[in-house]
Amino acid sequence: MIKRRLPTFFQAVCIGISLIVVLVLIAVFLGLILFSSPETLVVCLFSEEIWYAIRLSVITAVISTLLCLIIAVPVAYSMVRFKFFGKQWVNVLLNLPLSLPPLVAGVALLIFLSPATSPAGQFLSSMGIYVVYTSAAIVIAQVFVNAPYMVRIARSTFSMISPRYEHVARTLGCSEVGAFRKITLPMAKNGLIGGLVITWSKAMGEFGAVLMLAGAISMKTETLPIALFLNMSTGDLDMAIAAALILLIISGTALILFEYFGKEHGDVYA
Amino acid sequence: MLEIDSLSIQLGEFSFTDLNLKVNDGEYCIILGPTGAGKTILLETIAGIHYPKNGRILLNGKDITQTPPEKRGIGMVYQDYMLFPHMTVAENIGFGLKERGVSKKEWHAAVRDIAKTFGISHLLERYPKTLSGGEQQRTAIARSLLLRPSVLLLDEPLSALDTITRERLRDELKAIHKETGMTILHITHHFEDIYALANRVVVMREGTIVQEGTPDMIMHHPVSDFIANFTGMENIFTGDAVVTQSGIVEIHIGTTIIRTVTELTGRVHAGIRPEDMIISTEPFTSSAQNSFFGVVTEIIDSGVYSKIVVEAGIILTAVLTRQSIQRLGITFGSMVWLTFKATSVHVFSE
Repeated sequence: MIKRRLPTFFQAVCIGISLIVVLVLIAVFLGLILFSSPETLVVCLFSEEIWYAIRLSVITAVISTLLCLIIAVPVAYSMVRFKFFGKQWVNVLLNLPLSLPPLVAGVALLIFLSPATSPAGQFLSSMGIYVVYTSAAIVIAQVFVNAPYMVRIARSTFSMISPRYEHVARTLGCSEVGAFRKITLPMAKNGLIGGLVITWSKAMGEFGAVLMLAGAISMKTETLPIALFLNMSTGDLDMAIAAALILLIISGTALILFEYFGKEHGDVYA
Repeated sequence: MLEIDSLSIQLGEFSFTDLNLKVNDGEYCIILGPTGAGKTILLETIAGIHYPKNGRILLNGKDITQTPPEKRGIGMVYQDYMLFPHMTVAENIGFGLKERGVSKKEWHAAVRDIAKTFGISHLLERYPKTLSGGEQQRTAIARSLLLRPSVLLLDEPLSALDTITRERLRDELKAIHKETGMTILHITHHFEDIYALANRVVVMREGTIVQEGTPDMIMHHPVSDFIANFTGMENIFTGDAVVTQSGIVEIHIGTTIIRTVTELTGRVHAGIRPEDMIISTEPFTSSAQNSFFGVVTEIIDSGVYSKIVVEAGIILTAVLTRQSIQRLGITFGSMVWLTFKATSVHVFSE
């Protein structure tokens, strides 16, 4: 029989800290989950306001996630496969929103799109388009903050696929676009789906940039995080927690799905 | 004829300038060279993956330098197969034909035919990741051959395979070449490939061609130490491979017998690298299957290492350090034992 060795002091300390962190996380989330009675929660979940927030969040997040995909695929692909002038700078600028506080992104967007402060806003309003403080603003804010994440994930996905697959496809009669569409894209499918799930979940929870650009207008630009914020500020804890719980479930599920697709991906093409 | 006319290319750190090469129709041209010599880039440029800075590529007199890869009719096979993981073996093999838009019936017939030739008919519905290395490479070769390319480019197609599979697939490549008369350019690190397959050998180093010629010329008359060291094979014999009752393969070279592991029988070449020989002054007992006793007829000193030539029924060359020569007291006329493993004998067909 193999005798199990006791962990060394160093190992014990590291593992101990990890366990404590996990316990704290569980305690914190349990506190949130158990705060309201189930009956109150059900009532809140089916209230008109939460229902509106869910619908608005889902719709805006789906639209913004699809826009992120449309932006991220060509950008990530060109960053991985092509050489072009200024590529390094594109890279830096693309990563900037990742470290930028969303509030700052929101303010910048507000100034850029508002007719009172910028030519772009004036142009839009001359066309009869007003985005600030509308649901379109929610989508724009989400895209602005999340597209760089989607680019990152798409980029790491594409970089894991050897360009030689495309080379072979080309020698077999595929055009450049054909090789991308028939070989690279299907091979990147799982990675991209994983990215979509995470991006969508982040869009559902986007607060800072949305608050700045779309405002916190009850039953108008009230997404789930905005509902959480509004109800907290008016002291309606149960409603706030209902919104928080939905967001918690969404992030948890998204994480599991992301891990699932990530694993599949690595397994097949590594 | 494939003509490469003063080709220059610049790819990141790598470049080659003014490269010239002519490969005749139906030739089997082996490209040798160390890692970083530019062999793969050369093949990829011929395939149309990279566009050269200067120079031209001509195929049967037609300038294809600016032709996109899909219009060149040149096939490419890589060492790591590059089978499309989201497609079955059949879909992989038939990929090119589907691109050409043939009818379903024609497509099925063609895929079935070539799969039969390659002995992979039973794998058609499987996905590449469930196949062995040999099966994957057969699929990859079948995939590029189905389009009947005028030139086939093989980038170390046998390197990732085990010895026996490599031998078999090498024979298949040889048969394909014989049947189709296709022009083939094949990158390899294995000298057996040269003897078994090549009509012509091109040796590359740091983006230039340092020697080209027949396999015999390259192996026996290398123009530089670099090439001699690179090909590195001194003990090459021709004999008859016979399977003994115990299952061991013996190669009879005149009255001398060398034991080895191979699936080949009949007339074969056998090669042993000089550095795979163990030299001793006493009989050397080990699991090694081959041991020869003979007289030292030559000692060639080249720096740290020396080569000794031993007449032991066949003439064997071994490499050892100068220090070992002194320690063993080997001089001209010494009697020594040379021992090597059965697996150190590289066998290839004529």
